[in-house]
Amino acid sequence: MGEDKKEKRYKTGLLRSLWPYNFNAERYSYTLHRITGVILALYLIAHVFEIYHFALGPVAWEQTIALLGSLGIWEKIGLWIIAGSALYHGANGLRLILNEVFGMLLGKPVLPEYPYTPTSLSRNQKIAIYVILAIVIALWIWAGLYLLEGLGII
Amino acid sequence: MKVRIRRYDGQKEWWQDYEVDVKSSDTVLDVLNKIREKQDHTLAFRLSCQMGSCGSCGMVINGLPALACQTRISELKTDSIRIEPLYNYKVIKDLVVDLNEFVNKHRSVKPWIIRKNPEELEEAPIEFKVTPEQNLTFVQFDYCIMCGICLAACPTVAIDPLFLGPQALGQAYRYIADPRDEGFEERIDILDDSHGVWRCHFAGACSYVCPKGVDPAKAIQFLKKEILKYRLLHKKKAATKPAELVEKAPPPNAPKPPPFDFKFEGGV
Ligand code: SF4
Ligand code: FES
Repeated sequence: MGEDKKEKRYKTGLLRSLWPYNFNAERYSYTLHRITGVILALYLIAHVFEIYHFALGPVAWEQTIALLGSLGIWEKIGLWIIAGSALYHGANGLRLILNEVFGMLLGKPVLPEYPYTPTSLSRNQKIAIYVILAIVIALWIWAGLYLLEGLGII
Repeated sequence: MKVRIRRYDGQKEWWQDYEVDVKSSDTVLDVLNKIREKQDHTLAFRLSCQMGSCGSCGMVINGLPALACQTRISELKTDSIRIEPLYNYKVIKDLVVDLNEFVNKHRSVKPWIIRKNPEELEEAPIEFKVTPEQNLTFVQFDYCIMCGICLAACPTVAIDPLFLGPQALGQAYRYIADPRDEGFEERIDILDDSHGVWRCHFAGACSYVCPKGVDPAKAIQFLKKEILKYRLLHKKKAATKPAELVEKAPPPNAPKPPPFDFKFEGGV
C-alpha cells in the first residue's frame, strides 16, 4: 500500500476548518466562536501589557494612556470589536456549556427514521443560536453608541 | 449534464469535465457508473451495496460530504455536479480515499462489549436482559455504517488529524451507554486525551451530514457529560442502568424436523 498515495490530505487545514459554507448554523457559530476567542486572547495579552505599565509608575502610565489616546477613532473601533467578541464568545460559550456539560438542547437518543433530522441540531439548538445572536447584536450596537458618545460624536 | 470530477493519479491532480445524459431518477453513483462504463474507465471510486447501507461511496458532492448512492440528481437542484474525494483524507486515486487511519481510530475506542468477567460473554447459562427503553438509549448510535463522511465534515479533524473524530467517539458512547457494557474505565483514558473528546467544540457538522441519522455530535456531548461526572463526581456511567443478568431459558423441547430428503429432478 501507499507508494503512490498522496501524503497530503485533501482540503484540510486551518482555513478549511474555519470555512463553514454549505454547512449548518452550528458550524457557522463554531467559526465565530474561534475567531472571537483569538481576538480575546490577543486583547488579553495587550491588556496585561497595558496594566504592567500601570505598575511601573505614574509617568509610564500617563505615556501609555497618551499612546492609546493618539490612536483616536481606531482605539474606539478596536474596543468595539473587542466588546463584540466578548459578547459573542461569552453568550455562545454559555450555550456550549449547556450542551457539553449538562447535555441540554440536544434531545434524547431516538430511533432514526427517514428523513433523518439530528435532534442535536433541531429546534431548541437553533432557537438558542438565534436568540444569542439577537441579544449580542443588540448589545453590540448599544456598545457602539456608548463608544461614539465617548468620542463626543453623538 | 456537466459533471466535474477531481482526479488524482498518484502524481498529479486535476479537474476533469464530463457530459452525461441523466434521468431525473439517477443517483450520483449512477452518473459515475455511466461515466466509467461509457466514457472513461480509468475513473476510480468505491461502491458496493448501492442502497446506502455499506458506506463505501462517501464523497463530496457539490461541496457537501454525502453518499453518492443516496444522493439523487433531482435533489441537488443544480445543472452541474462537482464531485471530490472526502475532505481531510489522504487520496489514493481519484475519489478513493485511504480509510486506514479512520478504521484504526474506530478500533482504538474498543467498540465491543467489555465485561469485567469476560467469561460472562461466553458462559452458557447467562444472558443479558435489555429492555426496549434501555435499547433506545444507544440504538441510534448503532446505526453507523462507517462511511467516514462525518470526519470529512468535521472542522477539528481538519486541524488535528489525530483527533479521534465523530465516528469513533460516537461508537465509544454507543458502548458506554450500552447497559451490558462495563468498559467505561478501560476506555476513559483513550477518550479523555488531548486528541480525544475535548477537541470537539460542537460544530455539529458531523450530525448534519451523517447519512444514517446517527447524530454523532449528540453522542459526543453525552460522552463529555459522562466523563465529567466520572472525573468530578466519581459517578460511573449513569447513562443507563446496568442490564440484568438472567438465566438463559432452556432450549425448547420441540420435536426435531424430519431429515430433509432432497431429490434432484430434471436435467442439467
Ligand atoms: S456516524 Fe454517520 S457519517 Fe459518521 S461514519 Fe457513521 S454513518 Fe458515516
Ligand atoms: S454503495 Fe453502499 S452506501 Fe453507497
